[in-house]
Amino acid sequence: MMKALGSLSRRRFLTASASLGIGTIAAPCVARADDPTLRITGWGGKWGDIMKAEIGPAFESEFKCKLQTDSAFPYLPKLQASSRSAPIYDVLHTNSNEQWAAAEMGLVEPKIDPKLVPNLADVYPYAISDKIVGVSIFTSAIGLGLRTDKGYGAITSWKELWDAKYNGVRGGYVIPVNSLGQAFLMMCGTLFGKGQTDLDAAYTALEKLKPIKIVDFTGAMEKMLLSGEVGLCVIHDSGIYRYDGQNQPTDFVSPSEGVLSLEQVLTITPGSKMKELANAYVNYMLRPEVQKRLAETVWYSPANKKVKLDAKYDAKLLTTPEKVSKLIQVDWKWYNERKDEIDQRVNRIFRA
Amino acid sequence: MSSTATTRPNGLALFILPSALLFALFFFLPIGLMALMSVLTGNPVVMPKVAFTTRHYARMIGDPYYLEVIWTTIRIGLVTTLVALLIGYPLAHWMARIKSRTGHALLLMAVLAPMLTGIVVRTFAWMTLLSDKGVINETLLAFGLISQPLKLMYSETGIVVGLVHIYVPFMVLTLTGVIGRIDERLEQAAENLGASPLRAFIEVTLPLSLPGILAGSLLVFALAISAYVTPILLGGFQIMTLPILIYQQISANFNVGFAAALGIVLLMISLLLVVAYNRALGLVSGQRELQ
Repeated sequence: MMKALGSLSRRRFLTASASLGIGTIAAPCVARADDPTLRITGWGGKWGDIMKAEIGPAFESEFKCKLQTDSAFPYLPKLQASSRSAPIYDVLHTNSNEQWAAAEMGLVEPKIDPKLVPNLADVYPYAISDKIVGVSIFTSAIGLGLRTDKGYGAITSWKELWDAKYNGVRGGYVIPVNSLGQAFLMMCGTLFGKGQTDLDAAYTALEKLKPIKIVDFTGAMEKMLLSGEVGLCVIHDSGIYRYDGQNQPTDFVSPSEGVLSLEQVLTITPGSKMKELANAYVNYMLRPEVQKRLAETVWYSPANKKVKLDAKYDAKLLTTPEKVSKLIQVDWKWYNERKDEIDQRVNRIFRA
Repeated sequence: MSSTATTRPNGLALFILPSALLFALFFFLPIGLMALMSVLTGNPVVMPKVAFTTRHYARMIGDPYYLEVIWTTIRIGLVTTLVALLIGYPLAHWMARIKSRTGHALLLMAVLAPMLTGIVVRTFAWMTLLSDKGVINETLLAFGLISQPLKLMYSETGIVVGLVHIYVPFMVLTLTGVIGRIDERLEQAAENLGASPLRAFIEVTLPLSLPGILAGSLLVFALAISAYVTPILLGGFQIMTLPILIYQQISANFNVGFAAALGIVLLMISLLLVVAYNRALGLVSGQRELQ
């Protein structure tokens, strides 16, 4: 009897131990199993920090769901490779150029339904204009970044980037992979040709920009500017303003010809099984309090015109109809149709 | 009776089967899919109508730019391999022949130590040395030896420096094993017969270490032509290689078919060079083929 009991106890002990072990490992999944999951994309850095710490958890708590964020770029090839009926993301957050490509491939819905996203009524017109797929929740101004300690003097025009005194300390972007680079190429057409679509003028202008140091994303450009590797560069205002209070010898220049718009756009995938939640997320991201918190953390200009920022942010960001009217939006549909040939050409131009 | 014996499953075959299946799943299947994608007009998983096409290869052959990219990739691979061999061979020879166990251990640690740090970190370290505001240029400027920063980065030279630093350990470790197995008494015999140490090395040790040179060179070459991070960071996006072009085609142009075709070309380059190198060294070493 004792032996049987002993054997049984051992068996029970082993079974209980195994169950406990498996249970411990599986517990978080089981606990979350009932919560619907919204799969989104998002940036890293300060954006990722604030989303992870505050904005995301508040959404999860209010809508009783889980947010699963992919911040490992590039997003579109992953979406392209996933099934249309069961896409890898429910909400795609990326810049306008990629959103247009996604819409052309039928990977995202071209427009957000205002009935399902009431906050859409409060956004500036540019955020839902015919230049935008989905809705732009924030925008940055693409202009010039300057080292203030090099004695370059006051800069007012984009054309000063071509000045020979910036040879060796001029910075730009890898045009095939970066929105800022692509928008800047269109600006070159405006500056030296007949308009955004004057590619020949743009190519000629790019040739004359050499020697130039090129990077693939803004974080790299920020580091080049901070280290003094570049003295004058193409950059968006957030890339300069986010160092506010750190006494960095850098400043942002809004050129007289206008600043280009770098939009943070949200779209919903047609095959999403979480449409209601996806629309709720878009609406949530447009809420004035969410917009204010993010704008004052990452220095992006809010799309909701009802947002009232603190004076320091209000002075620098695009927070009035007059300011946003200065934004130059790029015709990404036109650009994407020619992207392949443009990439081939600019790769040749910038080769060493 | 004999028929029963022939149908009995081979024990060794059963033992190898799982690894063969894994190899097929993770090696042949992806390459097969890549080859298939390179001759299709689109992705059949998400597109209802796709057809066979040769347009991706035609585009590559028809545009001198892509041929230039292929040649740049091969050139960087060849130079990296040659420099790694020139640096690695003496070190490997020293390691293989050193009598002191402590000395061997210290040399081995010196070779392995850089491999404990990631490639990205090591490349960033080279950037702090080679950039315009880097240690080398700033020092030379401070001493008045140069008036303008030297162009150490954003060039093929910068890329090769970074790649050699990263891949020399692969060359050294491969060569050390081969050189260590060469009987030293053969060299001594040559010297006893009147050969100088240099001649004994050239006529005895060097030919016998050719399999190691072959293996190390192929390893370094294959790694160098498929490198992505170092050419991007040290080349400053101004030196285009096949891996960078492939990434660009997938991430920004969403052109999987063309990227697959570029990938197949990269694979073919490696295979062709393996065969050619194998034959050339076989002829040099007096064998028809090195096994």
